[in-house]
Amino acid sequence: MTDAHNRSDRFELIAACDESVLARFANEILESDPPLTIRQEPKPTLLMQQVREPVERRPFNLGEVVVTPAEVSLDGERGFAMRPGKAEREALSGAIVDAAVAGGHNRTAAMVDELEAAGEQRAASRDREWAESRHTAVEFETMEDEL
Amino acid sequence: MGYVAVKAGEEIIERAADLFEKQRLDGEDETLSVDQIEGQLDRLTAQAMSEAGLYAPRLAALAVKQAQGDTVEAAFLLRAYRSTLERWDETVTADPSEMFATRRVSPAYKDVPGGQILGPTKDYTQRLLDFNLETDHEDDEPDDPTADWEVDETEPEQLTNVMEVLREEGLVHEPEHEFDGEPADTTRESVTHPVDRDEVLQELARGETGAVTALGYSALRGYGQVHPTLAEVRVGKLPVKIEHPYTDEEVRVTDIELSESEAVVPVYAKREDPQFAFGYGLTFGRNERKAIAMTILDASIQLDSESEPAENPEFVLDVVDGMDSFGFIEHLKLPHYVTFQSILDRIRGIRHRAGVGSAAGVDDEAKNGDEAENTERDDSEQTPMEINNDD
Repeated sequence: MTDAHNRSDRFELIAACDESVLARFANEILESDPPLTIRQEPKPTLLMQQVREPVERRPFNLGEVVVTPAEVSLDGERGFAMRPGKAEREALSGAIVDAAVAGGHNRTAAMVDELEAAGEQRAASRDREWAESRHTAVEFETMEDEL
Repeated sequence: MGYVAVKAGEEIIERAADLFEKQRLDGEDETLSVDQIEGQLDRLTAQAMSEAGLYAPRLAALAVKQAQGDTVEAAFLLRAYRSTLERWDETVTADPSEMFATRRVSPAYKDVPGGQILGPTKDYTQRLLDFNLETDHEDDEPDDPTADWEVDETEPEQLTNVMEVLREEGLVHEPEHEFDGEPADTTRESVTHPVDRDEVLQELARGETGAVTALGYSALRGYGQVHPTLAEVRVGKLPVKIEHPYTDEEVRVTDIELSESEAVVPVYAKREDPQFAFGYGLTFGRNERKAIAMTILDASIQLDSESEPAENPEFVLDVVDGMDSFGFIEHLKLPHYVTFQSILDRIRGIRHRAGVGSAAGVDDEAKNGDEAENTERDDSEQTPMEINNDD
């Protein structure tokens, strides 16, 4: 079970959460006009994906992945989020949600529920995908005895 | 001689671009959406991402739309976009065994641990046109062909890598020294020869699919020593992880789809201890053909032979990049008036000194018969070199 109160878990849940959910919570949080500082503007940036080749175990650079990070300070609490792709609004919303949960905002319980639901949805989707793939498992038989 | 710039009407160039755009919009059909391209033509977007060396499915779909399906042009657009972005960091180094495989087949081991999982593929069906696809868009909601499947949803298993099976038997040639440095990054520093394997793998991973396939194929057709057995081919999702800036813990940002291939190559004739040598292929998106061809090239280059094209890293890495080859080949259609005028002047001068034709021009050539044609043919052998020097 992934715990949205935990900062690292929350980062992953925010990265996987639906954009509209993040935007809705961010709007609710900002309604009361809390002090907000953008510490890192949300803009697309690159992560170089490093992979370890399995034989020599030698790392190499596979290629870059586009991600959008953002960092805010909300009511004195820092928040950080990173979303895949070019996703400025989502990243900013995510950072606001992260800071709000860290600061114990009065919507924390609802945010935690939604984030954990997003995590469960992601896990269910993977389980389904795996089950469908398993359904295509095959046992090849050599035909040498029949020749 | 360097380039000589030409200029033309900016408005005319814009008109030509408008005409190109009109081709995409011609007809009465609705415009293809980026969502549709991303969702339904993911082989195209995967190829563009792979050749760009940039994983961004949504942007790749946009690039494919803008390039009207030309994958190399789309990759060019993605690389141009990439050049505007800063790099945040490197990821935590991923181990391919972390991949959540949705497809894994082992041509080497029939009873591979974890099983042969065909996954989504039409590899084992006949290549016949499916005319039902002509009209399936008329259905409100196309039927899900897996809707009736009764499957137990369980947590994904981590499939044992075939390489580990061989390693347990001592059949893997282990490296004498573990590499503990930072891998080279060919997007920041040009490749120099002799080249290290991490550079080879990075360059092949973003090579143009057709070029990588053709060179890999050349090794199989006798222009090389490598005819590997594939230990396994996988398609799946690998987590992209960073260190969280607050907690310093490894966290997952997203998953990227990859195609992976590993090959074994027997080298018993070359070593005292008969073992396997290996080739490795890994590329963004679903592109098994490229991953397998990359595997062959990686294995070929490791032979340190250079006697065949596929074994020569300088040759392979010089020609596999789509941006390089696209740029060089297609630049030939741009104005070369000064270059050509210079060549014309030279040929006319040679012909004049040889007493064939006249220095007056091309119109006289037709009157000079076979002898003149032969002379021109001989002279023309020099021109490609001159063009190369200019370019």
